[in-house]
Amino acid sequence: MRNLLGLTLGTALAAAIMAPSAVYAQDAECPVKVGGILPLTGSMGAVGERIAESAQLAFEHINEGGGIKGCPVEFLLRDDQGQPTVGVDAAKFLVEVERVSALTGTVSSGVSLPILTSVTAPSEVVQITCCSTAATFTALAESGESGGYFFRTLPTVKTQAYASAKVASDRGYKRIAVIYVNTDFGTGMVEYFKTATAKLGGEIVAEAAFNENQPSYRAEVNVGLAANPDAVFFVAFPQDGATMTREWISLGGPQNFILNNALRSPDYVEAVGGQYLNNAYGMDNASAGGPTVDAFRDAFQAKYDASADGPGIATQYDAAMVIGLAMNIAPDLSGPAIRDSVRMIQDPDGTVVGTGPEEFAKAVALIKDGKPIRYVGATGPVIFDANGDVNGAALIWNIKDGELGVENTLTIEDMNALFTEIDG
Amino acid sequence: MIGIVSYLVFFLTVVLIFGIACLGLNLQWGFTGVFNAGVVAFYAIGAYTHAIITAPPNPLLIANLGLPWPVGVLGAMAAAALAALIVGIATVRLRGDYLAIATFGIAVTVQLITLNWQSLTGGSLGFTSIPRPLAGYFDGQLSYNIFFLGLVAAATVLVYWALERVVRSPWGRVLRAIREDETAAVALGKDARLFRLQAFVLGSVIIGLAGALHASFIGFVSPFDFLPILTFQIWTMLIVGGSGNNRGALLGALIVWGLWSGSGVLVSKVLPPEFQTQGAAAQSILIGLLLVVMLVFKPRGLIGEEPVVSRHVG
Repeated sequence: MRNLLGLTLGTALAAAIMAPSAVYAQDAECPVKVGGILPLTGSMGAVGERIAESAQLAFEHINEGGGIKGCPVEFLLRDDQGQPTVGVDAAKFLVEVERVSALTGTVSSGVSLPILTSVTAPSEVVQITCCSTAATFTALAESGESGGYFFRTLPTVKTQAYASAKVASDRGYKRIAVIYVNTDFGTGMVEYFKTATAKLGGEIVAEAAFNENQPSYRAEVNVGLAANPDAVFFVAFPQDGATMTREWISLGGPQNFILNNALRSPDYVEAVGGQYLNNAYGMDNASAGGPTVDAFRDAFQAKYDASADGPGIATQYDAAMVIGLAMNIAPDLSGPAIRDSVRMIQDPDGTVVGTGPEEFAKAVALIKDGKPIRYVGATGPVIFDANGDVNGAALIWNIKDGELGVENTLTIEDMNALFTEIDG
Repeated sequence: MIGIVSYLVFFLTVVLIFGIACLGLNLQWGFTGVFNAGVVAFYAIGAYTHAIITAPPNPLLIANLGLPWPVGVLGAMAAAALAALIVGIATVRLRGDYLAIATFGIAVTVQLITLNWQSLTGGSLGFTSIPRPLAGYFDGQLSYNIFFLGLVAAATVLVYWALERVVRSPWGRVLRAIREDETAAVALGKDARLFRLQAFVLGSVIIGLAGALHASFIGFVSPFDFLPILTFQIWTMLIVGGSGNNRGALLGALIVWGLWSGSGVLVSKVLPPEFQTQGAAAQSILIGLLLVVMLVFKPRGLIGEEPVVSRHVG
C-alpha cells in the first residue's frame, strides 16, 4: 500500500508541478498519427474486424495519395473489447501518450459515448464514428456538450424513421401502434417516428418496448392491439420480429405492417409466411450507387477477397477519408482546426473527389491550390448537418408473394425536403 | 512527457475506483466468505443514484435533482446500503454457490431495470450531463484530473484505513471465524447470519461508492457499463492481488487493470499493421495466460492473507 500511495502521490505531485506548462503545442512532425478504436474481440468482434480492415484500407489509400501535409499517416488501432472502460482507456492513451490528431471509432454507442464525454470532447480531438446510432449524440451536440468534435458517417435512425412515417401517412394510416426493441437504436427510431407522424397528421396510439430473445411477445402485442390501431410498426431483429408478427396475426391484428431495416431479410419473410405480408413495407438506407461507391467496393474486394457488404464497412472508409481530407485542409493539426475543416470537405461549388488513392491525390492537389472540394465517398455524398450527423438516401421495400422487392427510392434531395417539412 | 503524466493520472484514477470496489468485495469474500457474484449490481446502483441526485433537471427524466456532489456520493452509498439490505435479508441464508447464483440474478435484474426504467435512468440512451465536482474552478483538463485523482485517492485511503481498523477489531475476527468454520462460530454464540448480513451491506456500500466515483469521473453512464464482465474483472483483481488482504485488493486492481490496458498497447506497438485486426485476439489470450500463470505460481494471490498467530503463542 505504501508503495502504491507513494506512486500515486508522486505522480500527482509531478503533474502538479508541470501543469502550468501544459500548452498543447502541435508538432508538425512526420508521421501524422490517427487513432482508431474498434471492437476486434467480444460480441461485435466479427463485425469489427472487417470494419477495421476498411479503415486500414482507407489510410493506405491516403498514404498512396500523398498522406497528410506531405507526411504519411500512422494509423494506431486499438481494441475496445466491446467494453466502455477498455475503450475509454485506449482512447485516453491514444490522445495523451500517442498524441493522435484525430480518432475514429467505435461501433457501440455505449462505448463511443463515454469516449466522447471523458476523452475526445474535453481534449478537443475530433472523433468520427462509422456505426454508433444513438440519438444521445445529437442531443449532446445540440446542448453544446460535445463541442462539435463528434461526427458520424452513417445516416442516423432519423432518416429511416422520417421516411417510414411519410409512407405511413401516404398510405392513410392514422392510428399506429409501435413495438420496438429496447436499445438506443429502437428508442431513437421511435422518438423520431413519433415526431414525424404527429407532424404528418397521424397518431401513435400504443407503444411497447421489448427486451430481446424472448420466447413470446404476447404482452407487447396485446398492448398494441388494445388500442385498436390501423397499422403496426415493428422495430426488431428477424428472429424476435418473426415471433411477434406471428403473434400479432394470430391474435387478429390488422395486417398492415411497417418494418425496420433489419427485417428486410428472407429469414423473416419465410418465418412469418409471405402471404401475410403483402401489405407490409419497410425502410432501409439506400446503398448509394455511382463510380465512387464501385471503386471502393472493388478495392475492398481486391485487397481482402471479401465483399464490402457488411455493416459499417463503407461508412468506416468514409470516416477515415473525411479525417484525411479535413487534416489536409486544416491550417494546422490542432483539434479545433480539424473540426472546422470537416465542414469544408463538402463545398457545393467544389470539384468532386471520390474514393481510392488517385482521387485522394487529386484532392490533395486541389487543396494545395486553395480550391474547394466535394467528397463523394463509399456511401455517396457525405454531408454533415449542424450536429455532425449525415443524411442519406432511403429506400422503400415491400414483400410481394413472399419475395422482397423495392417499391421506390427517396433520394437525398427528397429526404432533405422531408426533413425540412417535419423539422421546419 | 506531459501526455504520459496525463494518461497515468487518468489510468490511476480508474485503478483506484476499481480498487475501492475491490476492497468492498474483499470485505465480503476475503474476510467473511460471502460469495457476491453481483458486484456490478451495487456498482450500478451507486452510479445511477449519484447521477440522478447530482445531474441538472432534464425535461425527459423524472427525478434529476441537481444537488451538490457530496450529497450524490452519500446518497449513492445509502442506496447501495438499502439495496444490499433487501437483497441480504432475502439471501443471507444461502451459502457458497447458491448465494452466487442469487446475487448474479440480482445483477442482471438491476441492469435490466436501468435499461427499462427509461423515465428515471434514460434507458438505453444512457444518462448524460453528470456534473464533475468543482469543475468550474479548473481551467485545464490535466489539472482537473489531478484534482479528481486526489479526491479518489483520499476516498481510497479513507476506505482502506477504516477497513484495516474494522477487520482487526473483534468484529473483524468474528467475520474470519465465520469464514473458516461457521458452525464453530455459532457454537461460540455468534449470530453468523447477522454478521454475514453486516459484512454484505458494508461491502456493498463501498462498491456503491466506487460506482458513484465512476459516474462522476466519466460523466456518462449507460446500462452498457454494467454488464457481468465487470463483476468478473473485479473478482479477478481480488484473486490476483490476494483475497483476505486489503493491500492485495488494491495491488490486484493495479496489476489486472494495468495488464488489461498494457496488453492493448503492446499488441498495437509490436504487431505490424496487417496483423493488428487479429492481434486483438492475441491480447485476450495474453490476459488469460498471465492470469493463469499468476494463479499457478501464486495461488493465494500476490500478497495473500497475513497468517494470524496469537501473540500469546511461543
